[in-house]
Amino acid sequence: MTNADHILRLSGISKSFGEKVALKHVDLDVRRGEVHVICGENGAGKSTLMNILAGIHQPTAGTLILNGREVVISDPIEASRLGIGMVHQHFALVPSMSVSENVFLGRNLRKWGVFADKAAMVARTRELIARYNFRLDPEATVGTLSVGQRQRVEILKALAFNAELLILDEPTAVLTPPEVDELIGVIAGLREMGRTILFITHKLREVKAVSDRVTVIRHGESVATHETGSVSEADIARDMVGRNVFLVGRGNEQARRPFGPTVLKLSNVSMTDSAGRLLLKNISLEVRAGEILGIAGVDGNGQTELSEAIAGLREIQAGFIELGGRTITEASVPERQSAGMGFVPEDRLDRGLSKTMSVAENLAVSNYRRAGLKRGGYVDQDRLEAFAAEKIREYDIRGAVPESPVSTLSGGNMQKVVIARELYRDPDLLVVCQPTRGVDVGASEFIYARIMAAADRGRAVLLISSELSEIFALSDRIGVMYSGQLLRIIERKDADEVIVGALMNGSLEAAA
Amino acid sequence: MTAARFKNSVRAMYAPIASILLTLALGFLLVMAITDDPLQAYRDLLFANFDSLGSFALFLNRATPLTLIALGVIFSFRAGIFNVGGEGQLYAGAIAATVIGVTFAGLPAIVLLPLALMGGILAGAFLGWVPGVLKVRLAVDEVVTTLMLNIIVLLFTSYLSNQVIRDTKSYGAVSEMVPEKIWLPALPGVPGATSGIVVAVLLAFATWVVLFRTVWGAQLRASGTNLRFANAVGIPADQRIIVAMLIAGGLGGLAGVLYVLGIGHRFEQNFSPEYGLVGLTCALLARIHPIGALATAIFYAMMINGSAYMQISTDVPRSLVDLLTGLLVLLMTARLATPKTRS
Amino acid sequence: MYLSSFLASVLEQSAPILLAALAAMITLRANILNVAVEGMMLVAAFVAIAVGSATDSAALAFFAAVLASILMSQLLALMTLRFSADFIVAGLGINLLAAGGSLFALEWFYGTPGGLRPITFPDIWHVAPGSLSFIPVIGPAIERQSIILILAFIAIPLSAVFLYRTPTGAYLRAAGEDEHAARAAGVSVVRMKAISLAISGLFAGLAGAQLAMDKLHFFLPEMTSGRGFIGLAATLFGGGHPWVTAAASLLFGFFGALGDRLQAFSLPSQFVLMMPYIAAIVGLTLARWRIHVRNRPARIVVEGSA
Repeated sequence: MTNADHILRLSGISKSFGEKVALKHVDLDVRRGEVHVICGENGAGKSTLMNILAGIHQPTAGTLILNGREVVISDPIEASRLGIGMVHQHFALVPSMSVSENVFLGRNLRKWGVFADKAAMVARTRELIARYNFRLDPEATVGTLSVGQRQRVEILKALAFNAELLILDEPTAVLTPPEVDELIGVIAGLREMGRTILFITHKLREVKAVSDRVTVIRHGESVATHETGSVSEADIARDMVGRNVFLVGRGNEQARRPFGPTVLKLSNVSMTDSAGRLLLKNISLEVRAGEILGIAGVDGNGQTELSEAIAGLREIQAGFIELGGRTITEASVPERQSAGMGFVPEDRLDRGLSKTMSVAENLAVSNYRRAGLKRGGYVDQDRLEAFAAEKIREYDIRGAVPESPVSTLSGGNMQKVVIARELYRDPDLLVVCQPTRGVDVGASEFIYARIMAAADRGRAVLLISSELSEIFALSDRIGVMYSGQLLRIIERKDADEVIVGALMNGSLEAAA
Repeated sequence: MTAARFKNSVRAMYAPIASILLTLALGFLLVMAITDDPLQAYRDLLFANFDSLGSFALFLNRATPLTLIALGVIFSFRAGIFNVGGEGQLYAGAIAATVIGVTFAGLPAIVLLPLALMGGILAGAFLGWVPGVLKVRLAVDEVVTTLMLNIIVLLFTSYLSNQVIRDTKSYGAVSEMVPEKIWLPALPGVPGATSGIVVAVLLAFATWVVLFRTVWGAQLRASGTNLRFANAVGIPADQRIIVAMLIAGGLGGLAGVLYVLGIGHRFEQNFSPEYGLVGLTCALLARIHPIGALATAIFYAMMINGSAYMQISTDVPRSLVDLLTGLLVLLMTARLATPKTRS
Repeated sequence: MYLSSFLASVLEQSAPILLAALAAMITLRANILNVAVEGMMLVAAFVAIAVGSATDSAALAFFAAVLASILMSQLLALMTLRFSADFIVAGLGINLLAAGGSLFALEWFYGTPGGLRPITFPDIWHVAPGSLSFIPVIGPAIERQSIILILAFIAIPLSAVFLYRTPTGAYLRAAGEDEHAARAAGVSVVRMKAISLAISGLFAGLAGAQLAMDKLHFFLPEMTSGRGFIGLAATLFGGGHPWVTAAASLLFGFFGALGDRLQAFSLPSQFVLMMPYIAAIVGLTLARWRIHVRNRPARIVVEGSA
C-alpha cells in the first residue's frame, strides 16, 4: 500500500497531561474511503486521540501524516482547513439558533459585507442536506430537534466545509436503537460518496455492522488492528480487556462462605425525567450480607440514576427500596446513613470531596459523632487530627497530612479518603461506584482489598462499574444495566466477557 | 497551628498584600503629582488617626460597621452565596432601630434597647433571608436580588426619613434623634468612640470559631464549597445556607443598629460612605477569613478616616481614598481569584 | 396639550434608562452581568460637562463623553478578560472608580466637591419646537427633545439588527449562550465579550451625555441615581431581547414620570421608583419558578387502567 492510499497515518503518538499519561504509544493508519473504528474501554485514551486529530490537544510526541504530508493540527480551525471534520460526543450547537445558523457559525456568508446573508446560508444548507440525504429543515431551531437530528446537524457542520476525513466520537452513546440504525445508514451513505470515516465506540455490535477495519486501544496504546470481517466480537472484546489479572480475586475461588440475609432490596424501582422518559425501568435486585453484586454496563445506561436513587439523592417515581428490612424509599440521606448505608460516588471531585477543605475535614464530615470528635457543638481539634492521622496511616494515603487541602493528593489517594470515610462507619451496605476510575494500579489493588474485606466481614456490597475487569475480579454475581434496565443477573462462575459484553450492548440473544 | 498551616496562611496573604501595596504606590504617585508634600500627605492618611484621642475615636467608629459588614459577607460567601447586599442590610438595621427607638421612646431603656437591637438585626436578617431562599429553592441569581434589594431598601429608608420620622427642625433628610437612654456607652478611655467596636472585634473572633471550630461551620463550608458533596454526605445544606444568610443579613443589620445607637444617634439618609461595598472589599481582600477581615477593615478605616486629615494638612482631596478604593477593588480581583467563582 | 407634555416627560425619563438597558442587554447576550453601567454613565456625564465647559463645543463634549465611557468599558474588559477578574467585583470596582474619580476631579481640578456647574454651557441639538406639530400628540412630545433621545430610539432597531442580522451579532450570541459551541466553531469568545463591553460603553456614554447635557448642563456627584441599575433591571425583565427591553424601559420611564405627577397628590415618589427593582426580582423569580415546575420528573402513568 502506498502512502497515497492512506489518508491518515499516526506514528508513535503519545500525550501526557502533566504527570498523567493519557496516550503511551499509538500507531494508526486509515485508508482513504474506509470506515475505521477505534475501540477501547473507558479511559483507554480514545477521546484524547480524537481531540488531537481535532486540533484541541497537541501530542507530546509522535507524528501525524495527513495525505502524505506531516502536519501539525494547531487548533480546530486548522483541523477544518486540513479537511478534518469532527463530530463531538457533546454537541457543540447553539440551541436558540437554526440549523443553518449553526452550520455557518463562525463562517457566516455575508451580504454587502456587513450583514449576514441568511437566505444564502439557508439555501446552501438545504443543498447540503439534500446531497447527503439527511432530512433536516435548515430553518428549524436546533433546540426543538431530537438528539438524533441534532447529531445530524453536527455531522452536517463537519461536512459543510469540505471535510474528507470525518471523525465521530461515540456517536451512538446518546441515540435510541432506531436512531442508531439511521446513523449506520448515514455512515454507509457517506462512505459511498468517498468520505473516510473514523469513529470511536465500544459497542461491538455497531463495530461489526458498519466498519471495514477496527483498531483497539488499551491503556493508551494501540494494541491491534483487524479487518472487521475476519474477527468476532469476542476477539475484539478480548483485545479491549486484555489479560488483566488481579492477584486478589474472588470469582475463581470455590466454596464461598454462605451469604447472609438480604440487606438491600429494590422492588420495581422506576425513575422518570421531566419529559416522562424512563431513566430506570422497573429495577428489582437484592444484595445479601457478605455478597458483592457487581453491576456492569456502559456509562450512561442508568447507573448514575440507580446509585443516586439508592443513596437518597434522587427520588424514584415507582417501587420500593429496603435496607436491612426497613423501607427507606422516602428516607433522607442522613436517615439512610443511620440505617447502615455507605456511599462512594462515581465522581469523587463532583460528589465525593470538597477540594478546598482539608484531608481531615473530608474524612470527618459525616463521622463527627461516631468518632467522638464533637464536644458540644465544637470540634475537638486534637482528636480530629489524631483521627485523620490514623486513617492516613491505615489507608496508606500518600502525601497527606491532616490539614493539607485534599486537592493536593493524587487521584488514587483522594479516592482512598472517600473510601476511608465511608468505611469508617462499617456500613451494612456499601454502595461503591467506579471505585478505581482515574486511580493508579497500586491504589486500585488496595481499594479492591478493602472492598473484599468488607464483604468477608459480612457486609453487603453493591459495586457499579464500567470496568469489566473490575467487575469480574470482585463480584459474586453480575448484573448488567442497559438503557435503564437491569437485564440479567448471573453468577460469576457462569459469566464470561463475551456474554457480559453482549448484554452491555443490549443484545440479549447473543447472550443467551 | 502547625508549621505547614502557618506557611500556607502566610503564602495566602501575598496576593492581597501585594494589591494593597500596589494601590498605595499608585496613590503615592498621584499624590506626588498634586502636592508638594506627598510624604506628609501619606503620613496623615495613615497615621493621623493616632495623633489624638479624638481622631482615634473617629477611626474606631469607622472600623465598627466595616468589620460587621465584612463578617456578614464572609458568612454568605462561605455558604456559597455571592451576597452584595451589605449596604441594604446596613440601612435596614439602622432604620429599624431608629424607627423603634423614636416611636416607642416612652418605654424604659431596659425594654427599648433590646427591642431596637432585635428589630435592627431582624430587619437585616430578613434582607439576607430573601435572596438566600430564592437562591436555594429556585436558583434565582443572588447578585441580582441583593443588588435590587439594596436600592429598594435605600428608597424605603429615604421615604421614612423624609416623610415619617423626619426631624423637621434639622436640615436635610435626617430622622429625629433616638432617645438618649438607649445610646450605647462610649468606649472607656476614648470619649467619642462607640463601645460597639468591642462587639465587632468579639464577633470577628466568634465568627472564626463558628466557621472553623464547630461542626455547623464545617458543614456550612462543605455546602459552600461543593453543594453536591454536602448533599451526598448527608448535610442539610439548604438549611445551613439559609441560616448563614440570616446571620449574614443580621450582621449587616447589627452594623446599622450600632451605628445609630452608638455613633450617629439618628438616621441620616446618606450616612454610609459605601460601607457595604467597602466591607465587601475588606472581606474579599482578606480572602473571606474573619480575622483577616478585621485587619483589612481596620486598615480601611484608617484610610477613610485619615483622608480627612490628609485633606486638611496638605489639601489633597479626601476623595483620593474613594479613587484608591475603586482601584484597589479592580486590582485585587484581578491579581487573585475570588474565593467563589461565579458560574 | 396635557397628554403631550406627559408623553414628553415619559420620553425624557426613559431615554437614559433605555440606553442603560441596551448597554446591559448587549453584554447580557454575551453572558456578562454588567453592573458597571452606572459607573460608565457617571464618567460620561462628568466628562461631558468638563469638556463642554472647557471647549464650549457641544459636539466635542458629546464625543469625549462617549469615548470616556468606552475606555472605562475596555478597562473592565482588560481586567476581566485578560486578568481573569471576577465580572461582578470588577464591575463594582469600576463604579467605585467612577464615583471616586469624578469626586476627586471635582475637588482637585475644580475645587467644587458639590458639583460642576459651568456658568455657560453649549447646547446640543434639539428638535425644533413647532416642527412636528402636524403629528397629533406624539409630535409635540418629540419637539424639544435632544438628539441623544432620538439616537436612543434609533438604537433599539439598530441593536436588533446587529444581534440578529449580522455575523458578529450571531457570534456574540453564540459566545454568550454556549461557549463550547462557539469555540468549536472558531469564534473567539474573548473577542465577542470585549466587543459587547465596548458597545455597552457606547450606549452608557450616550446615557451619561444625555443626563448631563440635555436640560441640566451641570454635573452632580450622584447624578446617575441608580439609573444604571434600573436599566439592568429592565434588561433582566426583558430577557435580553431589544424590543421587550425597550418596552420595559419605557414602562419604567412611564412610572417615573407618573411618580413626578403624583407627587402633587402626596404619593411618595420612592414607592414608584422602587417598582423597576421589585419588578426585576419578581420577574426573575417567576421565570425560575416556571423552569422549576417544568423540570419536575413526570409521574408514571399506570398501564392498563380503564
